[in-house]
Amino acid sequence: KIPEEKIPEPPEGVQDKIAFIFNNLSVSNMTPKSDEMRDAIKDEHTPWLSQYLVMKRVSIEPNFHLLYSNFLDCLKISRLNELVQEEVYRNITVLLQSDKTVANFSDRSLLKNLGHFLGIISLAKNKPILHDDIALKPLLYEAYSKGAQELLYVVPFVAKVLESVGKSKVFKLPNPWTEAIMSVLVELHMEPDLKLNLKFEVEVLCKNLQIDISDIKPAHYLKDPEVKYTLDTQQLSTSSSSKDNGASSKPSTPSEQPQ
Amino acid sequence: EINLMEELTLKGVTQYYAYVEEKKKVHCLNTLFSKLQINQSIIFCNSTHRVELLAKKITELGYSCFYIHAKMKQEYRNRVFHDFRQGLCRNLVCSDLFTRGIDIQAVNVVINFDFPKMPETYLHRIGRSGRYGHLGLAINLITYDDRFSLARIEEELKTDIKPIPPVIDKCLYVAEYQQEASKDNDGKV
Repeated sequence: KIPEEKIPEPPEGVQDKIAFIFNNLSVSNMTPKSDEMRDAIKDEHTPWLSQYLVMKRVSIEPNFHLLYSNFLDCLKISRLNELVQEEVYRNITVLLQSDKTVANFSDRSLLKNLGHFLGIISLAKNKPILHDDIALKPLLYEAYSKGAQELLYVVPFVAKVLESVGKSKVFKLPNPWTEAIMSVLVELHMEPDLKLNLKFEVEVLCKNLQIDISDIKPAHYLKDPEVKYTLDTQQLSTSSSSKDNGASSKPSTPSEQPQ
Repeated sequence: EINLMEELTLKGVTQYYAYVEEKKKVHCLNTLFSKLQINQSIIFCNSTHRVELLAKKITELGYSCFYIHAKMKQEYRNRVFHDFRQGLCRNLVCSDLFTRGIDIQAVNVVINFDFPKMPETYLHRIGRSGRYGHLGLAINLITYDDRFSLARIEEELKTDIKPIPPVIDKCLYVAEYQQEASKDNDGKV
């Protein structure tokens, strides 16, 4: 499922130029920087650019997510937005499927950051997150059934994605898609032995969306034994067996250059 | 007088120097900005005049930068610093006005465009006040005239400032890369 084919890399000089552009990008110089970028990058390097943006910038610079999302729109490079979105999903999938038996703070924060950005480039722009790309509700179910360690990854991630519904005319509550996920989060929040930091994640989300947590009716989903027969569990599938602990098969490890 | 130095730490900050001629400094800065991954940076100069000159120069070169120095009105300085903190621009050129270290999470690179003479000044510029001492990279541009200051500052602060390697490991200044350090050691810049 995860493509590992070689992506053509621009020459070093061009990579330097692109690093310089990203190191100096701001709200006020968006237009000239877009021109510079379009001049610097050739069509065949669009996939490389999308990978650079997602793995080297978005995943570790959450403070500039809005800036980078606006930059993408300003660039108007054909296929770039599409490729970036694919790259975001690809990285999220890899992180979700990675070994979670050891507490890995950096994977968790990468996942959170990618979730936050995903919300900005989809939900905030009234574009849906398709079930085929990532199904948030079943993801919560799976994590819940697998245990606390999985929830540590999944809950903050889902909460970050949902943060963007506040900016969307379509997905703000009472949108049924949003409501369904929120009610599962609230169901989880009511769990007596849920970790405190996960409770906070749900509370912070509600606060960001300016809703009262008591206004959301908790679902009866996580404990519903019927649900698992309706799910095709793919999101966290390899986690407990941890087959892929080799760093080489892990594109989201940002210190690895795209081949 | 209260000694604020005790609150500051160089822990978690990787320090390097680059040996340059005065007139090559801007060129060196360009190289750093093409090779490093910078979230936000602070660039220090030794005089208010040089702050203004450098800020003007690098703005022309396409940098995103604000500047502040001691001769500006306090309220104006506050405004600039606030906007920088908000991420309205990426880099801040300034003279010495932080007395408690820099506590902006997003700043992962600090550059001494001019190397300070006094250890206190160095510590105030580079040292972090955060108890968790988040990761950072400090790059010092050293000229021939700075060579004794460098030795003295290393000595008095009991710290190690190494020559800048051709490739700087991202694990040293980007928090999310930190844990990958043990897995692979080929983090490239």
